[in-house]
Amino acid sequence: MNENLFASFITPTMMGLPIVILIIALPAMLYPSPNRLVDNRLISIQQWLVQLILKQMLLIHNVKGRTWSLMLISLILFIGSTNLLGLIPYSFTPTTQLSMNLGMAIPLWAGTVITGFRYKTKSSLAHFLPQGTPTLLIPMLVVIETISLFIQPMALAVRLTANITAGHLLMRLIGGATLALTAISPATASITFIVLLLLTILEFAVALIQAYVFTLLVSLYLHDNT
Amino acid sequence: MPQLDTTTWFVTIVSMYVTLFILFQIKLSNFTYPLNMTPISPSTSNFTTPWETKWTKTYLPLSLPLQ
Repeated sequence: MNENLFASFITPTMMGLPIVILIIALPAMLYPSPNRLVDNRLISIQQWLVQLILKQMLLIHNVKGRTWSLMLISLILFIGSTNLLGLIPYSFTPTTQLSMNLGMAIPLWAGTVITGFRYKTKSSLAHFLPQGTPTLLIPMLVVIETISLFIQPMALAVRLTANITAGHLLMRLIGGATLALTAISPATASITFIVLLLLTILEFAVALIQAYVFTLLVSLYLHDNT
Repeated sequence: MPQLDTTTWFVTIVSMYVTLFILFQIKLSNFTYPLNMTPISPSTSNFTTPWETKWTKTYLPLSLPLQ
């Protein structure tokens, strides 16, 4: 039962060849490069979307933070398109792999922290002690703030992994239950409706990307600008 | 849990880095947003054709007698 349930999260290899490389590179092929002043509809829609997202995301940043704009927009598009492609039945979603999410979260978070330390050493160190704490609580609070700082990348990675994995697992379970119940009773109509509802709610995996990038953004903002 | 099988971690992480940092960023850096979209006025050409130095009404095509 356990083996069967998690079978869709095994990194796909075909006869020893890691085709996971192709699966991860697939979303990049869905964004064609513009060649003209006025392109076709797909490229125009994507350009419009990128401009919309960028304008919204870069409002809170100053000049220093805006140098990260290409990184952030490619991050949100990559995670968004990967999650949406994972909603296709029987497909493999790379963001369910903890390896990939850790590989995304740790370097980006470390980049923001190091940027903060390099350019605003005192104010980034001052984050460890909120204003107005009683003197007796200072050592404990510094420890707590340090732990909460170092848990940020772990939280980013595990949040994304767990959410997407749980959603896919739930869809697989409920779909299997619906299939099994069809032969037994028409009360499956309600269960099919639950599957549909769950799928629609899971479409808001895109909202999860927003949560991911937004969290990263907030971290960047706090470390850079204050 | 198959996500904790560390043998595949290297391939996954490296292919993610290639996609995210290289492929996506190349594609997105090619998106152009031209700022000044003013139309270029067509150049006023100075024709020195001899019949245009003296424009008379008889040369208007609509004033010619219908054939």
